[in-house]
Amino acid sequence: MNLVGTLYVTALAGCAVAALAALTAPARARLPLTGWCTAVAGAVGAAAGVAALSGGVSAGVSAGVSPGGPAGGSGPSWSAWLPDLLPLAGVRLAIDPLGGVFVAVTGLVTVCAAIYGIGYCAHGLDGRLFQAVLPLFVAALLLVPAAASVSTFLLTWELMAVTSLLLVLAEHRRRAEVGRAGLWYAVMTHLGLVAILAGLVAFAAGAAGESFAELRAAELPPGAATVVFLATAAGFASKAGIVPLHVWLPRAHPEAPSHVSALMSAAMVNLGAYGIIRVGLDLLGGGPAWWWLLVLAAGALSALYGILQAAVTSDLKRLLGYSTTENLGLVLVGVGAAGFFAVSDLPVPAALALAAALLHVVNHAAFKTVLFLSAGSVLHATGTRDLDALGGLRTRLPYTTAVFAVGALCASALPPGNAFVSEWLLLQSLIHALPGAGVAGAVTMPLAVGVIALSAGLAVATFVKAFGVGFLARPRSAEAEAARESPPPMLAAMTFAAVGCVVLALAPTLVVPALGRAVGVVFPGRDVVSGELTLRLAGVSGMISPLLIAAALVIAVVAVLGLVRLTAARRARRAARLWDCGAGPMSARMEYTATSFAEPLQRVFDDVLAPESDVDVTPMKESAYLVERVRFQARVPDRIEHRLYDPLIAAAAAVGNRARALATGSVHRYLGYGFWALTGALLVLVALW
Amino acid sequence: MWRKIVRTGRVAEPAPERPDGEVPEQAAELAGSVQIRHVDAGSCNGCEVEIASAFGPVYDAERYGARLVASPRHADALMVTGPVTRNMEMALRRTHDAVSEPRLVIALGDCARDCGVFAGAYGVAGAVRDVVDVDVEVPGCPPRPEAIVAALRGLTGR
Repeated sequence: MNLVGTLYVTALAGCAVAALAALTAPARARLPLTGWCTAVAGAVGAAAGVAALSGGVSAGVSAGVSPGGPAGGSGPSWSAWLPDLLPLAGVRLAIDPLGGVFVAVTGLVTVCAAIYGIGYCAHGLDGRLFQAVLPLFVAALLLVPAAASVSTFLLTWELMAVTSLLLVLAEHRRRAEVGRAGLWYAVMTHLGLVAILAGLVAFAAGAAGESFAELRAAELPPGAATVVFLATAAGFASKAGIVPLHVWLPRAHPEAPSHVSALMSAAMVNLGAYGIIRVGLDLLGGGPAWWWLLVLAAGALSALYGILQAAVTSDLKRLLGYSTTENLGLVLVGVGAAGFFAVSDLPVPAALALAAALLHVVNHAAFKTVLFLSAGSVLHATGTRDLDALGGLRTRLPYTTAVFAVGALCASALPPGNAFVSEWLLLQSLIHALPGAGVAGAVTMPLAVGVIALSAGLAVATFVKAFGVGFLARPRSAEAEAARESPPPMLAAMTFAAVGCVVLALAPTLVVPALGRAVGVVFPGRDVVSGELTLRLAGVSGMISPLLIAAALVIAVVAVLGLVRLTAARRARRAARLWDCGAGPMSARMEYTATSFAEPLQRVFDDVLAPESDVDVTPMKESAYLVERVRFQARVPDRIEHRLYDPLIAAAAAVGNRARALATGSVHRYLGYGFWALTGALLVLVALW
Repeated sequence: MWRKIVRTGRVAEPAPERPDGEVPEQAAELAGSVQIRHVDAGSCNGCEVEIASAFGPVYDAERYGARLVASPRHADALMVTGPVTRNMEMALRRTHDAVSEPRLVIALGDCARDCGVFAGAYGVAGAVRDVVDVDVEVPGCPPRPEAIVAALRGLTGR
């Protein structure tokens, strides 16, 4: 076994040890023991991913025979076939650089989430089951990108879904919404699983076998390939929270414990994008252009819809959940563009777009970990997620505020944040593809550029709102007033994640060449970028130096401050009272709330968001002109959920009610149903074969 | 909209001659551009109607460099109307304090100058000059828009 394999197996073993420790350790030692075991497992897993990315060459085989072997010159860095572990198919694992990216991201997010959990779980979440399921979830997250056959992939995918569902439901005794969110999540994730299962099984039926190497070599007829692609893409899109399959995400993310939200939002949803890259680009090897235009359109729609909903919501974690939809949408814009360029015979922009998508996956994981962990710290300190009831946390939670500020800057795609770099790369690939992309490209690419620009602008407004309303000014509730800083493990984990963000923002040159190797799995034979201090695009003109941009910003800020100080010192200064409209004293009711800050945006996008408002006037008994009470209610419902899912659920309930007549309680009837169903199935089989 | 503009044509009165008289020393420092915050210290709204027409399209005070702004922090001058009521006394002091220096105060209308018909009423604290220093006074109940524009031109010097 080579280095990648050793590290990877150690990480999985670490997860198992953590789960065992959670089950057996005494209550006092349980949290630190499980937390540190999981964190170490995550760190080792991240090391395995990084080792796979840094260009491991040899293919080590642990047990059995490795069929297929390296395909296209960029074969797996490590692979294993364990035929006896599972009946019929066995377990087939392989880590290539593409899977390595996702293993590394998952590992690093796990380190933060596990250490954070030691402090966060101390009140009420330290039960055996919850603590044991978390390492299993991490193991499933590490296994999915390493699965190398259909059965292994589906099994690990389902393990991931079930463990994450258990984690989402952790606090179901405290709040009724948790149960509802869990129900939505369970249904959506299993519908997605059914779609993926159908697609991959059809794929395996058309190929010589079910290992990914055999699928890669298979030549499917175009019709079958389209069915496989559409089914799997729908399933993966539902995991990635892509519109219109996103409805579970803004429910499950807020209701899960915060470090689980971080793991789900920064590590799990990425695997939806991984699935589309792996199946669509790698295993199916491209396909017609309209597949990728569809992916691009779904991504663009999600980016816009997600950030619009995030901009108008006032629940902090729901806002972050919608922002996940936006960022995964941007990733899919990159993936769709990469597939489209590859079909249109534009290899350079294709590789660049895929690298941009992968870089955005990494960047999004970094800043979303920071944001969810600090949102959890706020929740821990105040007990509320409602931005309208927060405020004034800057003096009470200084560390959390600083960390959230770093995350918010990175999430708003402005320099010197890290999302700026990946969105810049994405824009470069779209712009440089224009000359050769044909009519479809000439129509879609400018639109995609517009969508990215608009979503970046709305993201700025969203995170200005989240940070300004949530953390600055004065507290708007007694809970916010009494907030106390979180315990050291939580602060340490948040700081670690924030440092990761800063490193990614200042030195993307450390990461992008490695991502180029991951791109090489799909589009072999090209370097995407070069340069140590400056990112230089290979093949097209374009470069960016985030470090120099940051330095220039710092110099400019210092110069402006110095200049102001110099000129202000010459003039006489007068201390004046803070302007309070002459009435005073200032109160928290004078501040902007999240709702009022988002109101202009809501007005601009009125036709898209369709907000509901309700005025209820109760007159006095004596006269209709005297008012006893006026109640005003405003809500921005998720319109897609309203229009698409509510009728579906109502129809399903109606069918269920009608079907009641069939179940009368008579055993004879039920036996008759079984007989007729079996005969029908046999008749169909006879007729088809 | 274009048709409306063409059909209506120009409604602004022709600009009268610049009124005589020296520009006050503080106003000269503003170099012809005076940003004004209006404070209603207890007015009956008569003066407000006239201010609105002074800044409307017919008298168009803005063409002489005077402009109404939304906050005392943006303003060079306060335009106070009405007698200063007890409820507004502290607010007027604070608003005056919030204006950066050099600052001017215009007392607009008879009530602002000497409490007008409200003199001696139980809710009135006094005229504007009893509360803050006044630089320019505009008589009238209410003053005509021409008088308001002339007073403002005396400040802008244009």
